[in-house]
Amino acid sequence: MRREDDRLSQIFAALANPTRRAILARLAQGEATVNELAEPFDMSLPAISKHIKVLERAGLIIQGQQAQYRPCTLDVTPLEEISRWTAQYRHIWEASFDRMDAYLNELNQQEKNHDQ
Amino acid sequence: MTNNPSAQDAVVIERIFNAPLHLIWQMWTDPKHYQQWYGPQGFTVPVAEMDLRVGGRRLVCMASPDGSMKMWTVGEYVEITPTTRLVYTESPADEQGNVVSPAAMGMPEGYPATTTVTVALEDLGGQTKMVMTHAGIPADSGGGRGWKQAFDKLADHIEAILNK
Repeated sequence: MRREDDRLSQIFAALANPTRRAILARLAQGEATVNELAEPFDMSLPAISKHIKVLERAGLIIQGQQAQYRPCTLDVTPLEEISRWTAQYRHIWEASFDRMDAYLNELNQQEKNHDQ
Repeated sequence: MTNNPSAQDAVVIERIFNAPLHLIWQMWTDPKHYQQWYGPQGFTVPVAEMDLRVGGRRLVCMASPDGSMKMWTVGEYVEITPTTRLVYTESPADEQGNVVSPAAMGMPEGYPATTTVTVALEDLGGQTKMVMTHAGIPADSGGGRGWKQAFDKLADHIEAILNK
């Protein structure tokens, strides 16, 4: 479970950025080179490459090996993973309860400081 | 692995918290506390309205870390037994709390329309045992095609913004 959670975290983190979602949306229409992906954005090529790296690590895109063009393609496999709703909800709840735990500790600490 | 279908469409999480029963009850029923913990890391809860009576409305907004994505859910309280048992429903909604169909929001096929959350609390003397059951969630949306379509819609949306 823990490993699956980490994996989901990585996918969610990759998706939690408007530029990266826009890149995926572009790739949903077909493969594209890094230059083509960078075009609509007011961003340097290295900055776009960084976003692509994040998406690649999350397994959401595959970059081809053809030296010159290295076109990127969308891989929907991780999206299938997060479309398993039970896994997604479990992930959100587990993360929430971790936060509740931390928040309770904080309240507890405040109370202690107050008592002193 | 199990053949029991009910085990597949519900998430059940059991936890023991190092806090008294009444405080865990407040975590769920007091918006000021609920807003501090609900949602994945980095997400915020800008709105939590809780009309805490049976049939009362519950409206919650969860926002992504950069604020670009806001998810509203609405539902009502089904059962309230202070401080041990809470049952409420949840559906995707707009910011006025009108239920919207998941498909209308561009969510993929198979996204649940209404789910039910049940919280059962037990006093362990200073500590509290919580069993949370989130029921009505389909195990699978039928693969990644749904998301592919969702991204197609997203692509149209982005294009419309860029062309403005």
